[in-house]
Amino acid sequence: MNFLTPLAFWFALSLPVVVVFYLLKRKRVTRVVPSTLLWQRFLAETQASAPMQRLRHNWLLLLQLLLLLLLVLALARPFFAGKAGFGRLQVVVLDASASMQAVDEIPSRFERARKEALALVDSLASGKGGQMVVLVAGANAEVRQSATSEKAALRRALEGAKVTDSPTRLAEALRVAETLIRDRPDGEIHLFSDGAIPELAEFETRDLRLVFHKVGRGSRNAGIVAFDVKPNPEDVAKRALFLSLANHQSIPVEARLELAFDGQLIDTKSITLAATNTTPAVFIASQSRDGVFTARLVVEDDLAADNQASVVSLLPQPVRVLLVTRGNRFLEKALAAAGPNVELALSADHSAVDEGRHDVVVLDDVAPSEWPKGNLIAIHVAPTNWFEGTIGELDSPPIVNWRNTHPLLRFVSFDSVQLAKALSVKPPSWGISLMDAPQSPLLIAGDIGRQRVVWVGFDTLESTWPLRISFPIFIANAVDWLNPATAKAEQFLVKSGEAFRLPLTSPVTEATVTGPDGKVHPVTVAPQASEFVWGDTGVQGVYRVQLGTNRLAFAANLLDAAESNIRPRETLDLGRFTQVKATTEKDANLEYWRWFALAGLAVMLGEWWWFHRRTA
Amino acid sequence: MAGILTPQILRRLEQFQLIAARRAKSSAKGERRSRARGQSVEFADYRNYVLGDDLRYLDWNLFGRLDRLFLKLYEEERELPVRIFLDASESMAFGLPAKFDFARQIAAAIGYVALCGFDRVSVHVFPEPQAVQESELAGYTHQMAIRGALRGVRGKKSSLQYFSNLTALRVGGVADFNSAMKRGVLESRQAGVAVVLSDFLDPAGYEPGLMALVGRGFQVNAIQILSPEELDPSTFGDLRLVDSETGNLQEVTFGRYRLAAYRQSVANYVQRLREFCQARGAHFFSISSGEPIEDLLLRQLRTSEMWG
Repeated sequence: MNFLTPLAFWFALSLPVVVVFYLLKRKRVTRVVPSTLLWQRFLAETQASAPMQRLRHNWLLLLQLLLLLLLVLALARPFFAGKAGFGRLQVVVLDASASMQAVDEIPSRFERARKEALALVDSLASGKGGQMVVLVAGANAEVRQSATSEKAALRRALEGAKVTDSPTRLAEALRVAETLIRDRPDGEIHLFSDGAIPELAEFETRDLRLVFHKVGRGSRNAGIVAFDVKPNPEDVAKRALFLSLANHQSIPVEARLELAFDGQLIDTKSITLAATNTTPAVFIASQSRDGVFTARLVVEDDLAADNQASVVSLLPQPVRVLLVTRGNRFLEKALAAAGPNVELALSADHSAVDEGRHDVVVLDDVAPSEWPKGNLIAIHVAPTNWFEGTIGELDSPPIVNWRNTHPLLRFVSFDSVQLAKALSVKPPSWGISLMDAPQSPLLIAGDIGRQRVVWVGFDTLESTWPLRISFPIFIANAVDWLNPATAKAEQFLVKSGEAFRLPLTSPVTEATVTGPDGKVHPVTVAPQASEFVWGDTGVQGVYRVQLGTNRLAFAANLLDAAESNIRPRETLDLGRFTQVKATTEKDANLEYWRWFALAGLAVMLGEWWWFHRRTA
Repeated sequence: MAGILTPQILRRLEQFQLIAARRAKSSAKGERRSRARGQSVEFADYRNYVLGDDLRYLDWNLFGRLDRLFLKLYEEERELPVRIFLDASESMAFGLPAKFDFARQIAAAIGYVALCGFDRVSVHVFPEPQAVQESELAGYTHQMAIRGALRGVRGKKSSLQYFSNLTALRVGGVADFNSAMKRGVLESRQAGVAVVLSDFLDPAGYEPGLMALVGRGFQVNAIQILSPEELDPSTFGDLRLVDSETGNLQEVTFGRYRLAAYRQSVANYVQRLREFCQARGAHFFSISSGEPIEDLLLRQLRTSEMWG
């Protein structure tokens, strides 16, 4: 037996109070009797006939002590592990994230958690109407079994659950669980997890009846938490592969890092991972064709899922940029310097816009008669179908805010940038505002249909921006962001558990996906679909997709620092002020304070009855 | 009749006579058969004439038939000393009616029957009254005088005085049952009928006292008087009981549910006393002071052949 609030044992200090009360008990009524002899005989005989009568004088004391003890026990909220349950509705949330694959528990954390959850199922008081729901929180929350008292079904649901390579998506599962028990005052959520869960602050103010069953003991893990491939800035013919390797142990670890291209080992290096730190690693590799780089960290640890990561690397393609302008040398130079592969074409006339020949079109204060279908930087032009309401003019609007977390504004600052004039528009639904004046957004990035658009609401020549260093950086960012190849490269790297999305340029009806395990899944695509979506990426690795005649590959990776940190948490932080402590008990905890409180009441009633019987 | 007994009872009592299982041993003449041979109308035995015998008692008819001299012997009739041991301790003052009132009614009745039968009645009232203060001295002397007068009563004509003396008795003090019995035994020159009127609730026990009476040859009649409250307590709750005589404290928690156990306990006590008496040839009666006295006097004592 254990106690959820052992602090309540301080109430045990009230036990001596009863003794004091007993000492101060009411006076006996004094009566003169002819002789006490008969009474002595009587007492002697009754004592002789009942051995427990030795305690006769202390019955009340004992009852009161018992009563208090029961109340104290109830306050301490005792629970037994794996015994008969009485919660009417228990929602079992089984964490199936990658960290649950850790083998510090035998055979693994997930198996352990499953075992405990099964024990909880066994303890379900189905005869008393107890019900259970099984939720598996992997890449997404999945209700594997809706509320039932059928133990076999619950057991089947738990046994069918599979651990994934995805990061924890517990908030979603808890949200589902919470809605299930919201109107059930007797409902309880039982979370079986290692506690490697990021943000749960949304549950802070809700009275979440959550019982956290912690699994996991060790934190022996090192893993790849970031993996990216870029053109090598020093040598355009080569590729630079950037890796971040996290070591969550308190001791440095020696490891070997292997790099393979399309399954062929091309490089290896020995690396020392500093304790509780992230170590960067860089590979430079030449690449002759599109393919998949796979990095493998060879190290002794408990979690294998994060020791491998893949990235799809496409050969760099030239970026064809068309600048339509009446003359803007700043922009011209910035575009020309935007990247090693930029092929800049200039046109003073919008009629030069040729669909499909250019990856990015820059409209600098020129409104074309026919709007290009490709990705677009639109400077100081405002097609009326982009914005609702009228488009106005602003005089020297101040820049009050910008969003430098967006990739477009990486390393971009608008300090000491002044604008003479700007267009005033309402924030559109198709994009997000990256820079604001008080009255209007000044910079918007978004997607209109299959078209990616960066809209600049002012003429750069009527501002001090081109004179600032942030301008060429922004243009380089914008070209990179608008380059379809970059977008494609991003698309080809998904986190396991997240859906792979590919915009379709031409209609496709048939597709097949080959998973990392070699299984081929045929997919039917609706003819009017604008994108191809594949959601079953719970297993990390390289997925190969055949879209019509098109063959491509994408990689699903864990790449999650929080998930790599497999140190089991003792508490779940729900926001800053709320915590859920892990029950040290491995099994289900079933609280018994109600029974103790009930027994206390029974004792009290019994005492009352006794009192009246003896004095009636 | 001083109100101690109703005239109806007295009339009934006059018909009774104490039955002595043993022959009277008193030296005084009375109306009881005794072992002593002497003058009476009751023929007892013959014996051979020896020189010097009174010739008036020769059986001349036998002499004529057998030609031998026999002397006719007659039983001497003696009185039967009746000793009444009356417990006048503090504990006897309890009960409704008081146990002592009940006891002295019995004493009066037995005394009356004895007096009617020309037997000598002596009442031993114990304990001795205590005079501790000057102001109580008059009462003390009066009590002592009454007790002295009760020591020897004879003749039916003394019964009125006997009754008024009994009525004037006051209770008080701590009884020492055993020593009172032993002293009574020592004081009695002849054994006779002994009637012990007490509640037999002496912490020191009753066995030595009763044994002394039986051993002296008394025909013992033990009459235990208990008050209804003692037999059937009506106060419940957390009680601190004070012994009226010894002042002992006894804390007890009592409720209706223990009433049966208490009754059983009292019954056990009475039964032990009864067995003790019966084992020694003594009569034993236990009566509640709340019961009608007629039942004891006219039925119980009669059926147990104390009188008839």
